[in-house]
Amino acid sequence: MFKVAGALLVIVAAGAFGFLVARNYARRPRELRALQSALSLLETEIVYAATPLAEALDQVARRADPCVAGLFARVHATLASRVGTTAQEAWATALDGYYPESCLKTEDLAVLQSIGQMLGASDRQDQAKHLRLAGERLRAQIVKAEEEAHHNVRLWRYLGLFAGLATVLILV
Amino acid sequence: MAYISQLTETTPQTRLWHEVTRFFPAAIRALLTQLSAADWAALEEIRLRTGRPLMLSGARGEYMLTPEGVLTGNPEQAYRVSADDMLRTVELVTGSSLYAVEDELRQGFVTVPGGHRVGLCGRAVVDGGKVRTLKYLTGLNFRISREVRGAADQVLPWLVRGPRAVYNTLIISSPRCGKTTLLRDLVRQISNGIPRLGFAGLTVGVVDERSEIAGCYQGIPQRDVGLRTDVLDACPKAEGMMMLLRALSPAVIATDEIGRREDVEALEEMLNAGVSILATAHGASVDDLRGRPVLRDLLGRRIVERFVVLEYRHGPGAVRAVVDGGSFQALGAVRCSR
Repeated sequence: MFKVAGALLVIVAAGAFGFLVARNYARRPRELRALQSALSLLETEIVYAATPLAEALDQVARRADPCVAGLFARVHATLASRVGTTAQEAWATALDGYYPESCLKTEDLAVLQSIGQMLGASDRQDQAKHLRLAGERLRAQIVKAEEEAHHNVRLWRYLGLFAGLATVLILV
Repeated sequence: MAYISQLTETTPQTRLWHEVTRFFPAAIRALLTQLSAADWAALEEIRLRTGRPLMLSGARGEYMLTPEGVLTGNPEQAYRVSADDMLRTVELVTGSSLYAVEDELRQGFVTVPGGHRVGLCGRAVVDGGKVRTLKYLTGLNFRISREVRGAADQVLPWLVRGPRAVYNTLIISSPRCGKTTLLRDLVRQISNGIPRLGFAGLTVGVVDERSEIAGCYQGIPQRDVGLRTDVLDACPKAEGMMMLLRALSPAVIATDEIGRREDVEALEEMLNAGVSILATAHGASVDDLRGRPVLRDLLGRRIVERFVVLEYRHGPGAVRAVVDGGSFQALGAVRCSR
């Protein structure tokens, strides 16, 4: 009786671990896509409406996918508090908070970091250029992330279950 | 000595103090905190130049601050503005959004919420012979805009014609003499009505191209411009005057710093529609205006019925003369400072 319960526990635990890893792989492209569309929202606010940055970020935070909204809300909060933080610093700090909670890789982070250096600091044309470039780089990351997800999601799901089964077989 | 930052009650002075200091980073805000209430009341400009002393100027003259916040005339002891201070001030003044103030930046200044004008200096980026924007900003002049209720009291008797009309008036002065402050109070009093002169209030339309008269923030006037005043914020003057005329049927139209040909043409249009005009122009005297082709034209057409000439004497807002627009003779001597 105990043996069966233990075996089930091992299988469930290993399976769950596999599913968790797989979920991270599946979530990365979704997050990147959400970031990309949030950036294009930001671009619209900046380029066509010339909305001041704090307000534009607030708009984006309200309208973006909840999984990335926090990043924009954090930058908005820092800028709105008017303590003399530059937009670049506010963006970097917000990224520090957001990155560990996300499923992004360091190469995705590098794209996001590059945005901070230009945020708000030039005219509309230039802002549009930089934001579009960042969007393009994110698109390349999305393609990569999707490929990885395609391979790894199923792999990790099965790997978890089979590893659990194998452990049980060895122990029995 | 009472430091303004320590005053607890919310007087217009302390409100203005908070309104101005939030555009400066912590290091400079700490210095401004040390100013006494009297020094603060006399303050007109805060100047930042990268690598050079922080300068304050106003009715008490020009002075610097030591790193401890004590007034000094000695540049050696003065607090020097760092590149970082400059960067952060520009970020606060522009709301970290240079792109949003592009058009203003092209003219060399931005107007911040509250109607304060911030002049900026750096390297011009030229595109096709025209200034596209400024970069490497290293000089900044924060001009504190103050609401002076009653600034127009002494000139109003010359400007009202009966209970329901005002003369077409042009306020002339050099920079920093209080043109906009006077115009704002004129607008407020004409809009509210002036019981002591038996003057009923009139509908006033303000075309506030630089957001300095009403100090609008998101369209809402931050300054008291009167009960019957409509403000068209951030709109080019000539176009704005026509819009107001068609849309809101004002009895009086007020606008700041006329100087372009289309402004004068729009003014004429207003006159034909029977609307009175309140406007301001740069110059030290009526004769000065003749040197500028567009304004000479304005004088030639005898549009203006009253000139109010301001000067700087013990502070801004001193009226040197009120001149009749027909005879170019001064109407009574009003040589007394406020």
